[in-house]
Amino acid sequence: MAANLRSIFHKTWRTFASIESGVVLLILVVILSAVGTIILQRPVTRPEEMQSTYSPQVLWILDAAGLTDVFHSWWFLGLVFLVSLCILAASVDRLPSRWRYFSRPYKYPDEGFRRALQPQKMLALVNREIDQEAGEEPVLAAAERALQSRGYNPERVLHRDQLGIFAERHRISELAVFIVHSSLLLIFFGTIVDGLWGWRGTLNLNEGQSSNIVEMRDGKMRTLPFSIRCESAGQENYADGTPKRWWSRLAVVKAGEDVDKKVIAVNDPLLYSGVRIYQSSYGTGGHFTGLEASYEPGEWGVWSGVVLMGVGLVLVFYLVHVRIWVVPVRDPKTGTLALWIGGSANRNRERLEKRFNDLVASIKDELNPTAGSAPREQLATAVERQGG
Amino acid sequence: MARGKKEERQAAGGMALIAIVGLAIAFLLHMGFLNVVRNGNLLSETNLLFATLIFYSGAAALYLGFGVTGAESYVKFASLATWLGLIANTGAVAHRWYDAGHPPFSNVYEMLLSSVWALAVLTLIAEKKYGVKVIGTVTMPVAIVGVVLMQLLRTEVHPLVPLLQSTWLNVHVTLAILAYATCALSFALAMMFLIQDNMKTETFLAITSASTLAIYASVVLTCFERWGGLSLFAWNQDRKAEIFLSQRVRVFVTVSDLAWLMTLAFLVVAMPLVCYGLARLKNNDRFLTLANHCIFPSILLQAMTLIVLLVRVGDGRYPSPGAGGALPKTLAASPFILTGLVSSIFISLLFLLLVWRRPDLERLLPSPDKLDRLTYRTICLAFPLLTLTIATGAYWANQTWGSYWSWDPKETWAAITWLVYALYLHMRITVGWRGRRAAYFAIAGFAVVIFTFFGVTYLLSGMHAFST
Repeated sequence: MAANLRSIFHKTWRTFASIESGVVLLILVVILSAVGTIILQRPVTRPEEMQSTYSPQVLWILDAAGLTDVFHSWWFLGLVFLVSLCILAASVDRLPSRWRYFSRPYKYPDEGFRRALQPQKMLALVNREIDQEAGEEPVLAAAERALQSRGYNPERVLHRDQLGIFAERHRISELAVFIVHSSLLLIFFGTIVDGLWGWRGTLNLNEGQSSNIVEMRDGKMRTLPFSIRCESAGQENYADGTPKRWWSRLAVVKAGEDVDKKVIAVNDPLLYSGVRIYQSSYGTGGHFTGLEASYEPGEWGVWSGVVLMGVGLVLVFYLVHVRIWVVPVRDPKTGTLALWIGGSANRNRERLEKRFNDLVASIKDELNPTAGSAPREQLATAVERQGG
Repeated sequence: MARGKKEERQAAGGMALIAIVGLAIAFLLHMGFLNVVRNGNLLSETNLLFATLIFYSGAAALYLGFGVTGAESYVKFASLATWLGLIANTGAVAHRWYDAGHPPFSNVYEMLLSSVWALAVLTLIAEKKYGVKVIGTVTMPVAIVGVVLMQLLRTEVHPLVPLLQSTWLNVHVTLAILAYATCALSFALAMMFLIQDNMKTETFLAITSASTLAIYASVVLTCFERWGGLSLFAWNQDRKAEIFLSQRVRVFVTVSDLAWLMTLAFLVVAMPLVCYGLARLKNNDRFLTLANHCIFPSILLQAMTLIVLLVRVGDGRYPSPGAGGALPKTLAASPFILTGLVSSIFISLLFLLLVWRRPDLERLLPSPDKLDRLTYRTICLAFPLLTLTIATGAYWANQTWGSYWSWDPKETWAAITWLVYALYLHMRITVGWRGRRAAYFAIAGFAVVIFTFFGVTYLLSGMHAFST
């Protein structure tokens, strides 16, 4: 019984965490959103227009199915909720292994890894005068110099008495995808908070009038904890008569005192105590100014989510996690020293191959300094040899 | 021997095409010259736009010349023509910016001006940096259609209404144009990939024929008036606007007999698709050869239809069944018919280029693998731009309308575009889709972009509809 329950939970979890579910749900969101733009939606259409566009029977069917207010219907919101659940499940499912990968870097490549990795190069160091015992240290130092000159930060790694070099860049890129998906969840969270606790309405004032009542779209009235007084309002026109600017000089009144003042215009609202007052229109007859007020407590979730997504996308597309290993290996038969170099990147393989080849050339240069450079003992002649 | 005859026929057809294109360019030059004489101002915005059109058309014609002769020098000159067109285009943009006192973002005319400019820039970048030298064969016709469309739209300079007086306008619209132009580039690259990936020429035939068929079908189905006249929207010359009987009910005029011509074109354009279907059904390749032979006459007939449309629908007056008397009519009221017909001709010409010069094209294009990766990298650039477009739009909407998301059709379709490209990235990164499937997805994504850019403005209503 308990095993059955656990297997059901397990199967549900697997379904939510799978890519297929995510894709299917996203496709459904796309289709339903498209439908919501083609069928007239009640919140933004006058009732007369709804009735003149659709026949009564069709309108009844559309209303019953929720298609005349798609974006506020329970099944659309439920769908968005399922998408969030999928993102969450997929992330939680993959996070532990990815975190382990991120937090425990693989610094010394064992033999099996070295055999299979691409790209890789083996530089055989052939010079009889080299003391094969002390040969490792200057060779490693040369490789470190080459890596540093290419902008890497190499470190020495000791693994079972074997020395190696490990260098990497942009490790954070491995977690980038989680950052992008978390940012999406943050945005959804912000919109849910706004949906539950936010509100919008109109506030029309005559000059000199003050009011603390906002009328919502559905007709309900909301009382603000402060009043807005319109001291004056006006409209400026261009030479041809079209409107140039609508403005209102407003004061915020709380407990009888003026606590804030601002001249607002379109695109430049007044913000007080989380409530925004907008200039939305201007009456033609008399001095009548059309204002809108809105309260969006979840707004900060949305904007932080957007910024986080920007950061995440940069990490995903522009920062590549590159790892370089340099390991001195001895030929078991002849005892000659060779330098194994390998590289790996989590995306954009062709760029890695180019960079890897440049790095190998750099290391060869460091190992065989040219005649004109500062005198330094020639460590070895590095000869390329494929395979490992 | 048969090969020689085919080459001969190709050469004859090619010469005829070059003659037609040459005449068209001469006509445009003549119009431009008249304009200069009338205005007396060499560097007016109209003339700069004409110059842009001439150079971009020149580039397209040179690509066609490459199609006829196979000589690579045509491609080089086409690139030069694109550069010259870009200079003229930049001049037009600067002129408009100076005249209006704000960057060209505030109506459809200005948006097209900026978008065509962005497309030309991206074409040259793709040629130079990515090495895809023939990308202009796809992007230049799109640019030309854009400039042609611009000739029909209202061009008066308006000072910005209060709504648009915000720096966010410049930021949001610049990002949108860059994002959509990058998507256009990914579309062109995906098409090039399909060529390099050995997609059969017959398949391209079917797609070409189906697209042109769809265009003529939509014209015939929506504008065919009972006795064979073409129904077009009436147009008020003085107010430069459509004429409405009541809200949402437009007045039509009927241009007699034109619909019969459209139907004839529809039938001729359908022929290649029919032949393709027969070839598949009966497993007989002769039908395919027949289909290929149908393309050239179809282009000639399409060109003729376009010319007749332009001549008949000049600035004459035509009877209207809705309102009494005769009403004026210009193409400005039906930009889509003109766009549709011109696009259809371009699509057919491009297919002809493919049929005649496929091996040469394949020689000039990078490997399919590289094109596949280039498409992916271009979308990797487009996706953050799309994200930023939506984000800046939302922030601006919040400042102006008090709500960062109102499920307005333009917003919703921008989000749908974003989701489609997000799906592309998921399919590629997580599921490992490559090659053909990825290319189809990229092409489908661009179709959504076109709908978001044009379809929403003209077909759906909302706060975003700045078309009037």
